[in-house]
Amino acid sequence: MNETAALIAALNTSWFASGLSEKAQTRLAELGRRFTAEPGTELFREGESSDTFGILVHGRVALRTLVPERGDITILTVEPGDVYLWSALVPPFRASSTGTAIEPIEAIVFEGATLRAALREDCELAMALYPRVLVAVARRLYATRLQMLDLFATEQVKEW
Amino acid sequence: MKTAPLRGHRPALEGPGFLARADLQVLIDLLREDGRRVIGPTVEDGAIVFDEITSLDDLPRGVGDEQAPGRYRLRRRGDEQLFGYVVGPTAWKKWTFPALVPLTRATKDGHKVEFTPEATDAQRLAFLGARACDLAALGVHDTVFTGSEFVDPDYLARRAQVFIVAVQCTTAASTCFCTSMSTGPEVESGYDVLLTELDGGFLVEVDSGAGRELRDRLPLRPATSAEQYGAAATVAAVRARIGDPVPAAGLQDRLLAQLDHPRWAQVAERCITCGNCTLACPTCFCTTLTQVTDLVGSDAVTSRSWDSCFSPGFAKVAGGSFRSRPRDRYRQWLTHKFGTWWDQFGQSGCVGCGRCITWCPVGIDVRDELNAIAPAVPLVPETPIVEPVAATPNDFVTARVVASRQETADTTTLTLTGIDPAFAKGNTGQFAMVALPGFPPLPISISRFLPDGIELTIRGAGPATKAMCALQVGEQLGLRGPLGNNWPLDRAVGRDLVIVTGGIGLAPLRPVLHAIVADRRRFGDVKLFYGARTPADLLYRDELERWGTRDGIEVSLTVDRAGPDWTGRVGIVTHLFDQAAWDGANMIAFVCGPERMMQATATTLAGRGVTASRIHVTLERHMECGIGLCGHCQMGKYFVCRDGPVFSIGQLGDIFGREGI
Repeated sequence: MNETAALIAALNTSWFASGLSEKAQTRLAELGRRFTAEPGTELFREGESSDTFGILVHGRVALRTLVPERGDITILTVEPGDVYLWSALVPPFRASSTGTAIEPIEAIVFEGATLRAALREDCELAMALYPRVLVAVARRLYATRLQMLDLFATEQVKEW
Repeated sequence: MKTAPLRGHRPALEGPGFLARADLQVLIDLLREDGRRVIGPTVEDGAIVFDEITSLDDLPRGVGDEQAPGRYRLRRRGDEQLFGYVVGPTAWKKWTFPALVPLTRATKDGHKVEFTPEATDAQRLAFLGARACDLAALGVHDTVFTGSEFVDPDYLARRAQVFIVAVQCTTAASTCFCTSMSTGPEVESGYDVLLTELDGGFLVEVDSGAGRELRDRLPLRPATSAEQYGAAATVAAVRARIGDPVPAAGLQDRLLAQLDHPRWAQVAERCITCGNCTLACPTCFCTTLTQVTDLVGSDAVTSRSWDSCFSPGFAKVAGGSFRSRPRDRYRQWLTHKFGTWWDQFGQSGCVGCGRCITWCPVGIDVRDELNAIAPAVPLVPETPIVEPVAATPNDFVTARVVASRQETADTTTLTLTGIDPAFAKGNTGQFAMVALPGFPPLPISISRFLPDGIELTIRGAGPATKAMCALQVGEQLGLRGPLGNNWPLDRAVGRDLVIVTGGIGLAPLRPVLHAIVADRRRFGDVKLFYGARTPADLLYRDELERWGTRDGIEVSLTVDRAGPDWTGRVGIVTHLFDQAAWDGANMIAFVCGPERMMQATATTLAGRGVTASRIHVTLERHMECGIGLCGHCQMGKYFVCRDGPVFSIGQLGDIFGREGI
């Protein structure tokens, strides 16, 4: 299997990219590259420029936020098949949390400027990709809201 | 002076009489003198069928039968018995509900049309040799045809003309299961005269005015106590021989819960949809209407004839049939007979006569199918709900704490013994009202059933629960219960089960996991998705580990927030499976947690193909009395303590998650 075919196969294991057209998958495979990291590797840091778009294929990535006096709080873990890094598509292209591999990971990553240029030129690719990104972000937003409700808390939240 | 008894002039007999075998001819003659055709058993084409009887010689003297699935043989008994066999291929419905009945004649004369009801040709009949299952079948038809505001005039006219001489079964076939259907073998009512065959004749009993009249004209002597005892013992032996092949308690619910069971497809591979079972069945009553007209179409008769749900055209509409596959038709028959018949008529449509088994050309045994599709074998920790000893709100029994285990910072599991024995027979998902002096009683889910006790997992959220968590070994508390309904584990047999829970919500589901582990092979894939606030808030950590590594349960954990040392998942519990690859088409879901979390879970599960009727949730409401009377826990038409706490989303409909209900 050549590299492009291998990447297409990897894309097809993810919910994010498996439903894309063959043409879009091929284009993405041409633009992407494989990336692996060992547990403990900090992949990106909150607030820092992060010009990469990444789809997780294997392993687990923790998204963490530093809260003064409480330390690093894991707010979400990203599982295989999901997008773990999408800051490269949203200005100002800065990571909104710190991403750390907590298992050996394998991902497909895209250099931000290259991907953005490709999406500007190829409307069809953009039309295929952006709704997926929106779904990924919307899911995360919904999950975050539920998490914010702190449903399993012992104390009743006081009315305000 | 000794005088010979004269017919019609004997003193009235009280209690059972004895009729010599040869004198059965007198009974037949008397019935015929009354203007009745006597229909009874006779040997024809190698089987005992019902047909017109004029003399004792028409009856199958010394003939027995051997029946098995798809098999029927006659044999010599080596005695003189006239009723030493069970039911054959004919059912009495042939006379009370004939296969073809003209209903209406329609004529057309120019522009004028006229419809005239056809007259019923009801005859005076006597059924000789009806068994307990036959009488039960007539009772079923009485309900079907005369039990509602729509009374069938043809049936009513025919049925009113029937005099019944019933016969107790003194033998059983391998296909009999009247005991399971509670219809026999004892004939208890619904007859005019009842015969029990003994060595030299018959014990005769009566149950109607017409029966008494006939009895008084028979050459009877009072039956001896030995004869009466012998008759009862013979029927008791038949009951013992049949046993209880299809335990019927809850059968209709168990069956209707298994509409997707793979067995339907398996039995359909054997079923040739011939409809023999429905024709031989004494209660099957589905019909179709046919018109026969003269050649110019001016005179037409509409007739009703027996139809069968196995007929290819039975559920046909323009464009196709709703039940085109044999599996659909077999399921329709079985689920109507044993399930939805209850909804339609308040009783079962099966009387356990076994005709459908014997006369199935491929030998499908309805008992095997029922036991495979809707098994009654209780799951190991599950036994029928028993009434609690302490049933009323002012009635508590005490239990002693024998162990206390701190699960998390605020949650404790108490092991209690010395309790109301009703608890030992409680069911998964039930709860107890728990009381300490000085505090209001609170509903607490039972988190484990032990042979001689229970466990309660309590989160110290308020003063009462904090006091319970603080109980030491040796201290006592008050209990009422077990209360409420249970998780429908029987629905999960043979299917995949997904359990989604959060926080303390694992406690009422823990007995479900114990039941599954105890009988793991009866379930398909079992997935547990459990979310907690933080890693330190996960309950039963040892058990979670065991279930996942040893007991064949796919355990996925997640927490809402965690420090850097936690390498498991972080995120809301639905995030564990909202994009999973699995298909929920054959899946049952049990969900317990805060209502908002259960709503999100139900939505996510629906996206995986788990329909609302297969998603079960347990609701938390303010419960005080535990018996649906104090009113606090009302939710629409339901009282959560009595009708729940377990409900399906389909059952709750749009009241689930609605604000202010």
